[in-house]
Amino acid sequence: MMADRNDSDVGSRLPLVRKLVLSSLGVLLLATSGVSFYRHRHLEETVVLSPGVTEVKRLSDYFDGVRGTINDCNLYFLEGQEPGATMLVMGGTHPEEPGGRLAAWLFAENAVMEQGRLIVVLSANRSATTVTRLGGAYPTDFVIPTDWGEQAFRMGDRWSNPLDQWPDPEVYIHDPSGQNLAYVDIRNLNRAWPGRPNGTLTERTTYALMELIRRERVDIVIDLHEAELQYPVISTIVAHDRGEELAAFVSMMLSDEEFNIGMEYSPKNLHGLSHREVGDYSDAVPLEFEAPEPFLDATRGRTTREQLLTGQDEFVMKAGEHGLLFERIDEHGWPIDVRVGRHTSAVLQTMESWTILNPDRPLSCRGVPRYAEVIEQGLGHWLHDPSQAPPGRVVIE
Amino acid sequence: MSMFTYAGIVLGVMVAVYIAAKFLRLSTELGMLAAALGGGLVGGFGLPARHIAEGAMTYLDIILIFITATLFMNILKESGGIAFVVRGILVRFHRSRALLMVLLTVLLLLPGALTGAGSVTVLITGGMVAIVLETMGISKVRTAAIVFIVAGLSAAAPPVSLWAMMTAAGVNMPYIGFFLPLLVPCVVASLIAIFLLGWSREQIDLETALKELPRAPEGMSWLKVILPFVVFVLLVAIGRRWPHSTPVIGLPLMFLCAAGTSFVLSPLRLEFLQISRETIAQLLPLIGTLTCVGVLVQIMTLTGVRGLLAVTAVTLPVTLVFATLFFVLPVSEAVLMWGAAPVLGVPLVLLFNTMGLNPIVALAGMSVIWPLGDSLPPTAIIGRLTVEVVGYRDSYGRFLKSCALPAVVIMIIGTLMVVFSSRLSFLTGL
Repeated sequence: MMADRNDSDVGSRLPLVRKLVLSSLGVLLLATSGVSFYRHRHLEETVVLSPGVTEVKRLSDYFDGVRGTINDCNLYFLEGQEPGATMLVMGGTHPEEPGGRLAAWLFAENAVMEQGRLIVVLSANRSATTVTRLGGAYPTDFVIPTDWGEQAFRMGDRWSNPLDQWPDPEVYIHDPSGQNLAYVDIRNLNRAWPGRPNGTLTERTTYALMELIRRERVDIVIDLHEAELQYPVISTIVAHDRGEELAAFVSMMLSDEEFNIGMEYSPKNLHGLSHREVGDYSDAVPLEFEAPEPFLDATRGRTTREQLLTGQDEFVMKAGEHGLLFERIDEHGWPIDVRVGRHTSAVLQTMESWTILNPDRPLSCRGVPRYAEVIEQGLGHWLHDPSQAPPGRVVIE
Repeated sequence: MSMFTYAGIVLGVMVAVYIAAKFLRLSTELGMLAAALGGGLVGGFGLPARHIAEGAMTYLDIILIFITATLFMNILKESGGIAFVVRGILVRFHRSRALLMVLLTVLLLLPGALTGAGSVTVLITGGMVAIVLETMGISKVRTAAIVFIVAGLSAAAPPVSLWAMMTAAGVNMPYIGFFLPLLVPCVVASLIAIFLLGWSREQIDLETALKELPRAPEGMSWLKVILPFVVFVLLVAIGRRWPHSTPVIGLPLMFLCAAGTSFVLSPLRLEFLQISRETIAQLLPLIGTLTCVGVLVQIMTLTGVRGLLAVTAVTLPVTLVFATLFFVLPVSEAVLMWGAAPVLGVPLVLLFNTMGLNPIVALAGMSVIWPLGDSLPPTAIIGRLTVEVVGYRDSYGRFLKSCALPAVVIMIIGTLMVVFSSRLSFLTGL
């Protein structure tokens, strides 16, 4: 009888023990991953304001519909010493493309406008900087070595964080074109232009950015991106109809003097993208710059911070050997310095070419390194130590 | 060590762990989880908690759709609505077998076409149609095969085809011009499947069939059956017609609204919490599979195994790519589910585009083949769901054999669409 009772006790305890062990493992997984998610969402990125930054505003200053939301991003205004045109440079439309954000960062920390005005956005879709792609195994952050130590940045995704905008519809119908797009693209900032004042968070963000463009009478909008090497729109400038001459000029100058970059027309039937809708719904000339980022390729190897920053990948090279890529790649990869340098040079060249085409509304800027300088000294050389910054000149992004 | 060697070793370890887990009689889900953990360890990432958690959430939306749609169906079933409909259809159309089969095909195609999920077809109309098919003298195994094949095609059918949409999004191609390239093969293949597996000259014995079917409760009516569907379709339609004046509530909430309507209209008193508990118990294996597939894909991506599989697939000789699509696509679906679209679909579409093929028609052709993989292990999500809903209890292998003939037809249609995509480009209307 005793033996039976003991057996019975063991039998009833076993599932309980198993449940306890599994629950404990679950709680452990929840806690450790939760800490990682929390840190990612709350990682503070510092911006040491360039002497050229005359004012830092918020996106909600232009549209109240984003006030108090995660997408109420900073706007860095750099007023020139002399009047001229106004240019908006946007990084962080797709925060999984860090080259665009970092290039914009170099402008916010180093640019001094001599003629005209520059507005810089580092996190156009700030929500998307707080999440990584499910199934994508992205790192949550990455570190850039600098002259004074290391600076950490959030790695993000192509889409707004579902914590901020959820659920998705079964199909995304773009406004106002009515075009059907993949349901998930309702959280893609570069499918949500020109936005809606009463729309989703992503649509309200593009609407707010459109308000900024309209109210500040922005002349040129530059949207900085990176692309996988298997994507045909790469190493190129995509231009709205009104920006074709400018883009062709910039492409020609850069290809002649610094690096090869193409030029493409913004398709008229592809809606929601900045290079189409900003041009159609404002007086600004929108351009989109694309630099190569092998990290985004579906054929990439290990998904690591190192791959993100060096762009070295044997598998992507293999795809290249079979003629499957639209950009070359070798064992040197596509380092982040090269990608950021392409963007800074492209923006600076746009200012120069614009000024030649529009001498009455010039744009000129100093302090920002071009392609060769970024590669030579590393982009970290141009990021400044927040502990050494003058009081009030450090902003958290 | 080269990346190929590294990823090859990790892949080898993952496969070995999976086989070992199966040998130890662990479930498929735990086998996949073990394979993922083994891959992470050998790959030098330790036990990456964040990646495990993040991967586990990959299919959360789909899981919610499964749960709410099944709850809706279970409430409808418990209220006697399904029995009522099946009896009604039989009485009205039992004289024309062909017409009945066409109508049943439409019934099966609609839910998946609207939602992009074959599981929704299985859950919403699959069970009902299965009963009618059986009363038409079609064996249980063939009934399951019909429901599975047409449910898969319904998921690929327009307007919402997740494979096409996810791949199109991956190559930044607008999701336009897909309607006819998806609709034509899906309708044709569905009709071929149902007639291949279900056609006979046998007359339906209405009296016997009605005797075998459960009786509908008193007070049940067409209105009470249809109204919940009307609520669901209305919510979808309103979202489509006025997408910018209505809040986005998502498919799970739409299904919950339909379930709520069905619950309120039921002539029988239903135990909501009991039905909810049974629904979760019924779906737990499916939820487990989806969760573990997410973890597996995340670790495969982290370690480069996903890249190894993708680069191997796209660097095969073109004729071999064409010749193996029928095999590679279902297998990738079986392992990665919709994850197959971004992993394999994107490089393949880019490959076809560089070859001068029509990417829309080629992608539509691939989208028709992909759902076949939903019957294959390790996931076999829709296949397992189908046999469960249909109530087929015999060997899973026999079910797969019954699917073989229509599957071959679908593979041929899909492959020909890819190879001759340029000539079929008129279907896009662009």
